[in-house]
Amino acid sequence: MQVLLFGTCLVDTFFPEAGEATVRLLRRFGAEPIFPKGQTCCGQPAFNAGYEAQSRAAAEHFLWEFDGDAPIVTPSGSCAAMVKHHYPWLFRDDPKRLAKAKRTGERIYELTQYLVHVAKAHEAGLRGKGTVTYHASCHLTRSLGVREEPMTLLSSLQGATFLPMPDAARCCGFGGTFMAKLPEISCALADEKAASIEATGADTVTGCDSGCLMNIADAMRRRGTKIRVAHIAQLLAEGL
Amino acid sequence: MNHEQTSLAFRENSVRALEDSALRAAMKQAADTFGTKRADAFAPVADLEALRDRASAIREEVLASLPMYVDRFTAAATRAGAVVHRANDAAAAREIIRKILADRGARLIVKGKSMVSEEVDLNSHLEAAGMEVVETDLGEYIIQMEGETPSHIIVPAIHKNRQQVGRLFADRLGVPYSDDPQVLTKIARKALREKFLSADAGISGANFASADTGSLVLFTNEGNGRMVTTVPPLHVAILSIEKMLPTLTDLPAFIRLLPRSATGQPITSYVSVVTGTRKAGDATGAKELHIVLLDNGRTEINAGESRDILKCIRCGACMNVCPVYRTVGGHAYGWTYPGPMGMILTTLLTGMAKSHPLVDASTVCGACVEVCPVRVPLVDLILELRRRKVREGFSDPKEKRGMALFGKAAAKPALFALGQRLAGAFWPLVRALGGKDVAGRMPAPAKTPLRRRLP
Amino acid sequence: MSGADRERLFLENAAIAAAGTHSVSDTGELLAALRRVVATDSPVYCPGVTELEKAAAALFPVRAADYAAATVTVEEVFGAVAETGTIVCVSAGGRAVQAGLLPAHHVAIVRRDRIFGTLDDLFAAVAGDPPTNLTLVTGPSRTADIELTLAIGVHGPEKLDIIVV
Repeated sequence: MQVLLFGTCLVDTFFPEAGEATVRLLRRFGAEPIFPKGQTCCGQPAFNAGYEAQSRAAAEHFLWEFDGDAPIVTPSGSCAAMVKHHYPWLFRDDPKRLAKAKRTGERIYELTQYLVHVAKAHEAGLRGKGTVTYHASCHLTRSLGVREEPMTLLSSLQGATFLPMPDAARCCGFGGTFMAKLPEISCALADEKAASIEATGADTVTGCDSGCLMNIADAMRRRGTKIRVAHIAQLLAEGL
Repeated sequence: MNHEQTSLAFRENSVRALEDSALRAAMKQAADTFGTKRADAFAPVADLEALRDRASAIREEVLASLPMYVDRFTAAATRAGAVVHRANDAAAAREIIRKILADRGARLIVKGKSMVSEEVDLNSHLEAAGMEVVETDLGEYIIQMEGETPSHIIVPAIHKNRQQVGRLFADRLGVPYSDDPQVLTKIARKALREKFLSADAGISGANFASADTGSLVLFTNEGNGRMVTTVPPLHVAILSIEKMLPTLTDLPAFIRLLPRSATGQPITSYVSVVTGTRKAGDATGAKELHIVLLDNGRTEINAGESRDILKCIRCGACMNVCPVYRTVGGHAYGWTYPGPMGMILTTLLTGMAKSHPLVDASTVCGACVEVCPVRVPLVDLILELRRRKVREGFSDPKEKRGMALFGKAAAKPALFALGQRLAGAFWPLVRALGGKDVAGRMPAPAKTPLRRRLP
Repeated sequence: MSGADRERLFLENAAIAAAGTHSVSDTGELLAALRRVVATDSPVYCPGVTELEKAAAALFPVRAADYAAATVTVEEVFGAVAETGTIVCVSAGGRAVQAGLLPAHHVAIVRRDRIFGTLDDLFAAVAGDPPTNLTLVTGPSRTADIELTLAIGVHGPEKLDIIVV
């Protein structure tokens, strides 16, 4: 079965390993991932900063690149939420694109949604090692409603121990352009998140959104903490 | 006491707050406490979502016909013996109240907590006219004594620890130093009891007003609300127009939601319903009741895209879960209302020119939306204000240029790919040029991006 | 909900809110309960208007004419709400609402047939013609304004006892 892979601008540019891991996972579970080469960004950075026209320009391009009927899979909760929840609003005055936006929103899956509900990857006996804790990013949890799937997958890793973090869903302080506009507060929040992670005693922290993980990794670096920060796609792919 | 708005300095204010370890510890304790208490308080409530839906619908109904409800309230309150005044703006509200008090020679006034009175800066206006205004809510009493402004709408002195309060009381009230909250509370009880009994007038706010009966509703724990509204012969109430409920029978839904959302209590110690002045056969109660209904821009807000902020019932739940507010406290926002509801209401009431940094004071994490008892769409409202900020020309010029470029690159893959290569090639330069706040916190772009690794 | 259930729920919720609770079946037991909670030589304010108040007043030789000078008020209140453990005080009928507010100790007598099940039941009954002052009282006065530490007894009473008759 063909699926369209939306890498996301962050993964494409900064964390291509997470994208490659996503490809391996999709293949393992019977999908043929196609990466539309013209893809760019879902438009979220502009949308969240109040730049409606620019975010619409990105969204129009996305709809064009990802046209069709195949499911779309993306290793990012916030990007999936952007497409599902905000694209219809962006095209509220454009009936044709509005219809397309709604259909596209129905076709898009955040990676763990796809792996649990379509691929049943949690029943595949994936392997893992060491101790893992999980950061539940904000848009994934509150916008998309994905709360159980990542933990279902992590708990299924044979050989790894899942250590839940208190306040796992508390914001890490990334917030897209927020980290640039209010870096002091962003760092303070990232430090708090890092402290929560450290308190679990886990050797690895994972999550579904690269922006969060990047922000957390930076806090770890500042604190001199040696915990591994890895996208859930990478952890799961290592267990194949 | 300087009540100048300092919202334009939000970033500087917050940097100072981040360096204040006492404040950070207090805010952390408060957030942890309120979070747990709210969750515990709602756990036994059957069908919380239906309750929120109902409360949200009632608030929307009021806003949909606000002028009608305000008129209805005015007529009912007047029939019950109150005099109702409409104050179009802060200056009008201050002057109406000053005149009522001055005309009756009122010199000592006891005051219950009222955010709206802070909004219009009432106290300094009355003090300038030679009146003594005593805040009677313990938290407000403390900060009044310190010459500060509230940092939280429910617990205004949350940023002060017990030692600070102990020293304050010892200095100003001449009592022996104690840092035991129970002892400090008794000290305040004694000091304020005298004031209650000798005051010429009481000023209060109101949590709600029922349009059908013309009643004012106050939620308090301390008993000061009851004192202020029944002991002095003259009671002046100030509230903003969106506080209306259609009928008094709508109140139970809010009794079930507000205290739990605010402090995790199933109900506050006191819910006072004040309807007009002393009637024939009454032994007590205010002889004169003046109700000042404040607009201050709300009619205009109600006609616009941001009207849903007027649904807010001032419970403070959004603040307690906001990652930004929890970290920097209320003063950083620079005006009366802090946190998620505050950044929105402040921008709407005081204008983008005086408030625009506030609209960026959010990671749009959505925690506030999850807890708002009346379903104010806080994240949508913040995003709408960000769009307005851009349209009205208050964005940083560098950001505008960057976003214009982004818009082009997002629509043109070749440009996007070029941008990736340039970012990769020039990353050290970007970092060196002072991008340490952003670029310094990100890894360098990958040598080979994903698009060149895949077929 | 039966009357007995309403009373039980009311007393449970009132106790959770830190009120002292007592359930008695007749005037004799009412007086016994009063003797337990109030020292009979305290300066007591009692309106002495209702039948129960008149019986209660007879217990206390030292009567404060003014509730502002009393250390304890003993009075019969309008009703109660089981849902929240609340007693309801009103100004109608010449009641002094501050009587239950100013003294440090408030003793409220409630007839069991005046216990409403829910807040909706209460407001349905009073919203048609509300009195000048209607106050829902749940437990003694309190604050957590200093470091979020609970302190009981602020401007209102420090102690609330409720006797259901």
